[in-house]
Amino acid sequence: MPEHVLRVSDLETSFTRDNKEIKILRGVNFSIRKGEIVGLVGESGSGKSLTSLSIMQLFHGTTGKIVNGTIHFNGHDLTKMSESEIRKIRGKQMAMIFQEPMTSLNPVLKIGKQLMEAIEMHLKLPKNESKHHAIQMLKSVGIGRAEEIIYEYPHQLSGGMRQRVMIAMAMACHPNLLIADEPTTALDVTIQAQILELMKKLKEENETAILLITHDLGVVAEMCDRVVVMYAGQVVEEADVFELFASPKHPYTKGLIASVPKIGDNKEVLDSINGQVPSPQNMPNGCKFAPRCNQAMSICHQESPPTVKISATRQCSCWLYVKKDVEVNA
Amino acid sequence: MPNSILKVENLKKSFQIAGGLFQKKQYVNAVIDVSFEIEEGTTFSLVGESGCGKSTTGRLITRLIAPTNGSIVVDGKEVATAKPSELRHLRQTVQMIFQDPYASLNPRMKVKELVGEPLEIHTKLSKVEREKLVLEMLEVVGLNAEHADRYAHEFSGGQRQRLGIARALITKPKLIIADEPVSALDVSIQSQILNLLKQLQQEYKISYLFISHDLSVVEHISHYIGVMYLGSIVEIGRKETIFNEPKHPYTQALIASVPIADPTLRKKKIVLTGDIPNPKNPPSGCTFHTRCPFASDICKQAIPEMRKINEEQSVACHFVN
Repeated sequence: MPEHVLRVSDLETSFTRDNKEIKILRGVNFSIRKGEIVGLVGESGSGKSLTSLSIMQLFHGTTGKIVNGTIHFNGHDLTKMSESEIRKIRGKQMAMIFQEPMTSLNPVLKIGKQLMEAIEMHLKLPKNESKHHAIQMLKSVGIGRAEEIIYEYPHQLSGGMRQRVMIAMAMACHPNLLIADEPTTALDVTIQAQILELMKKLKEENETAILLITHDLGVVAEMCDRVVVMYAGQVVEEADVFELFASPKHPYTKGLIASVPKIGDNKEVLDSINGQVPSPQNMPNGCKFAPRCNQAMSICHQESPPTVKISATRQCSCWLYVKKDVEVNA
Repeated sequence: MPNSILKVENLKKSFQIAGGLFQKKQYVNAVIDVSFEIEEGTTFSLVGESGCGKSTTGRLITRLIAPTNGSIVVDGKEVATAKPSELRHLRQTVQMIFQDPYASLNPRMKVKELVGEPLEIHTKLSKVEREKLVLEMLEVVGLNAEHADRYAHEFSGGQRQRLGIARALITKPKLIIADEPVSALDVSIQSQILNLLKQLQQEYKISYLFISHDLSVVEHISHYIGVMYLGSIVEIGRKETIFNEPKHPYTQALIASVPIADPTLRKKKIVLTGDIPNPKNPPSGCTFHTRCPFASDICKQAIPEMRKINEEQSVACHFVN
């Protein structure tokens, strides 16, 4: 088994509108090891969710398509696979949970039926065994009255319960990779704490690799081993979680961390980043962050910065760190 | 308290959820018993999880809905029972900022009309005078004159929230009710808006009733805090005491649940078990007893009274002395 469960290289995804191709992801690189939680952070419009949809190849009904790059999952390149080959992997070896559990559960099917659908399809279990498996899964995510819940409909459950059902469904076939796209954003803090604890427990028990997509740096600090920071469709910094919060390198990461109000430090004025994320149709030349960056130099407005390896565990795409003695892999 | 701008006492609101002419009527108590006071130029925050009644409280104070019971004194005047004709003055004194800047601005109006509309209603200023004030106000909230002829859809989320603030501020209100004003914004934009709200408070001596579920934001902006659970305030006091010495088990759990953006402070959390009960069927006694790690028999039977435990803090819990 290769060391990496997932390795995304030079991923470029675009949408077509009015016969014009608009590139949203412009070269995304990162990887996830077995049993590792990697946080994918950035503001709205940075391409976090599209990265996850690209990995799952969920473009149905849109003009989205991968135009360049590779996505190696357990050693196989997903971009070269046919839809039917991907269907065998999706839901079995890699699964996804979404932000809004109500819109991703089918409102007219009972919970048990929805859970058993995936189990019957991928694990090829007979009906009574798959029902037993479904109940087991619900219990493992902390749903006490699992035997009754399987006969209920999604609208009868609370938000936290629905998210537990989604996690049970995603974990039902013991995937190697779980992609969680803002899994707790719609939940209250006390329920969020329950769901985060649950995800940690599942990771430890099954060695599932988790790609956690979130805008909440608190959740990242709490959960992740490594962090990938995205801005305008590119990875701008990648680091170990402790390194990232202790000494962020990229000015965007610095700004992001400084903007978060922290309980206990009595700052009168919060730091903020001027301006806003550029739209994909109006991307600036050079570094995409340069117009908002307070350390921008003239070269930043002309040329895109290369990715600089700062140490074995971290890299950053910023001209500030391009020195003659540092190896540049452009 | 010196110069109280708002005093709410025993506020109650129940909504009818079922029944009618021939059926038994059923009610849900969204706000059961809420009392607090806001001093001039300070920020009071209501925090709590979804369904705790914090937004309903805000809407009651602006009298967008009428309370079932209780008193609301704004700037010395009782408004809980005010007639619609008397509410016009209230709406000049109390303004509101909403969560969703996309939904709360009319898409067919230009910025100068949007921001100037409250003046048209509340003042007798001429069009020229109104426009002058609008342009000044745009500067105050960090936009400029060239934005005046645009429509709301041409702005980003953060800019739209600035428009919402300009619109609220233009009648020179004494109290602004801000219902989750930064929840829909990205962190870098959120901090811009929080800074703006603080700066405006210092300049114009405005009071805020800040409604939010985000404790990090609340800690940053408030002077006083009320923690709500299922329609009642369970703990109330100065910000520093609430965060440093929370007494109610719910406040403690709420603060402990907030993920801190610093991996070196990872800690074992007090994870509350169970869900928030349905307000249609609230638990007996202390409504928090179903999730409270310290609950005993008395909690199931008697509703704890709000007691002052020191100069700066009051708590409704049987076990806090």
